Amino acid sequence: MMTSTLLVASIIKILVIVGFLFNVAGLLTWVDRRQSAMIQDRVGPNRAVIKIGKFELRVFGLLHTAADGVKFFFKEDFMPPKADKLLFSLAPILVMVPVLALAAVIPMADTLCLKQIHMTAMVNGAEQSWWPAAERVGTCTTDSVEGAVSPLNVGILYVFAMAGQGIVGAGIAGWSSDNKFSLMGALRAASQMVSYEVAIGLSLVGAMMTYGTVRLDDMVRWQGENAWGIFVQPLAFFLFFVSAVAESKRIPFDLPEAESELVSGYFTEYSGMKFGMFYFAEYMEIVTSSMLVVVVFLGGWQLPFLHRDGLTIAISDVVLVETVKMSHLLVTIIGVVTFFGKTLAICFIQAFVRWSLPRFRYDQLMRLGWRVLLPAALANIFITGLVLLAIQDAGPSVQGALKTAADVTQGIVAILLASLALRGVVFAFSSRKIEHVLVGSAAAMSNARGGTKDAPMGA
Amino acid sequence: MLNLLLLLDIVPGPANAATPVPETPQGPWMGFAYFGFCAVLAVVGAIATVASPNPIRGAMGLLLMIISIAGLFLALHAQFIAAIQVIVYAGAIVVLFLFVIMLLGSDAQTPSDQRGRIPRFGAAALFAGLGLAALTLLGRTMAKPKLPGDVGSDFGSIDSIGKVLFTDMLVPFEISSALLIVAVVGAIAVARGKHGELAEKGALNK
Repeated sequence: MMTSTLLVASIIKILVIVGFLFNVAGLLTWVDRRQSAMIQDRVGPNRAVIKIGKFELRVFGLLHTAADGVKFFFKEDFMPPKADKLLFSLAPILVMVPVLALAAVIPMADTLCLKQIHMTAMVNGAEQSWWPAAERVGTCTTDSVEGAVSPLNVGILYVFAMAGQGIVGAGIAGWSSDNKFSLMGALRAASQMVSYEVAIGLSLVGAMMTYGTVRLDDMVRWQGENAWGIFVQPLAFFLFFVSAVAESKRIPFDLPEAESELVSGYFTEYSGMKFGMFYFAEYMEIVTSSMLVVVVFLGGWQLPFLHRDGLTIAISDVVLVETVKMSHLLVTIIGVVTFFGKTLAICFIQAFVRWSLPRFRYDQLMRLGWRVLLPAALANIFITGLVLLAIQDAGPSVQGALKTAADVTQGIVAILLASLALRGVVFAFSSRKIEHVLVGSAAAMSNARGGTKDAPMGA
Repeated sequence: MLNLLLLLDIVPGPANAATPVPETPQGPWMGFAYFGFCAVLAVVGAIATVASPNPIRGAMGLLLMIISIAGLFLALHAQFIAAIQVIVYAGAIVVLFLFVIMLLGSDAQTPSDQRGRIPRFGAAALFAGLGLAALTLLGRTMAKPKLPGDVGSDFGSIDSIGKVLFTDMLVPFEISSALLIVAVVGAIAVARGKHGELAEKGALNK
């Protein structure tokens, strides 16, 4: 294949994934505030405004994100006088780089075969062109564009390698700040991340055993042909999700930066854009870990019953809907959109966790990591091994039953997604009463609703 | 020296099935440039590790060296070893070093070297001489650089390494894992023994 095509494809992929990462991380800062307002029954951020004459642009407080960015650039870049200058400046970079590098192996879509996108041929003397459907199974080895920026053979091991580097950045930040709270925060961050990295690695081993591969795109293909990872490895999904939240150092695992104990932990002394990089890296970590959850456990770019060649609804041998052929490019684009949609959903859930749970105590955190998650992950590996052996030895009837069960899970997911979409449509078109009352106190609110302070809701 | 340079020219390596390397006229030069970049960084990191008076900066030098060497492994299409190198050395060992150094306190400094000049420079000269001797020997015995033949597309992949590890190398592999377990148990025994004694003393005092 021409090198230039490969180069252009790579640049497009890099722009898509990095653009998604940056934008969603930025939006997540807004989601965090807006969602907390929703949960705590407040209005939330609405002060940032662009005024042009009488016209005011507020867009649901979205401008706060832009205001943050501007502030980060114009604040004083303070450095403690006794800090280690080189390491102090190096630490935010060390925190940021691994998170970005991690995104390189995430497969956004199935392999795109360039020769199958568009075809022209002479039919009955007239030139015809069409957008054909791809083959159902197998991919092309030449003239192909892989779904990931860099589809490494070692796949998930690269993820472990990059995830482990974040510790160094946090540690260096705390040490070089010359501040005891920073140092304590750094120690906590390092020990917490080392502990939960073990659980992350071991919880994924069960998934690797089931899929029989370490390549992330092959994992997604396996889930498309069989069942999603959340059905075959439910315990691993739970363990991985918990450990991923712990790795991102957010409530309830935010001990390294616990405000009530350590000011703000290992980045206490940071200000301006250096602080911004820590802040932003945390949100980007949420996005990348959500991407990993989607790829390993939620079928990546796959939608139920949507195959490489189009839509076929079949449970085992019973075909409910015959193949509806769809062009290769369309299926790939649907895949990319699906992948990013799933990622956004998981990001939203991760943000939800923050406002739902109180912070752990440090000993509880360590006990959870080493005495609950680690043994559970080991047990999961052991049981997975036994079950895999049993399935290997079982006859074709059992394997047929398993295939049917896998298809049923796909059906369940399809029904869930369809009902969710229906619900969304109903919500969008239903008329709702929007209360434009900004209430200052509980008494004013109950007054607005027609009640008294003693009987709030107008009894 | 020329032989050595030729030896190093294996960098472009076999094209891997999964990650096709675009065939460009300047392919070997790209490989050589990549090798040079990683090698220079590795040497810089190694020098920073031993030369830096500040222990944390030394650990950072070590990190740089480890990651550069992982880059060299990548150039040889040993993706698995590169990943393991980063996971184990950069992800675990450097973090362990950082831990120890941070617990020692922010102003921990190595005691200034009390040894005289002659032993230090003598040792450096000795090592340099040994290195030169090794290089000369290598250059003489390998009149023609022995390039590896075509290796399979799964060379260095997890599949092939796992197969070797769990069939031909099963006994050494299991023995080394037993050794590691013994080390872990020993470490726990040493650490807990002290606390246990203290606890017993405390109980006696009551």
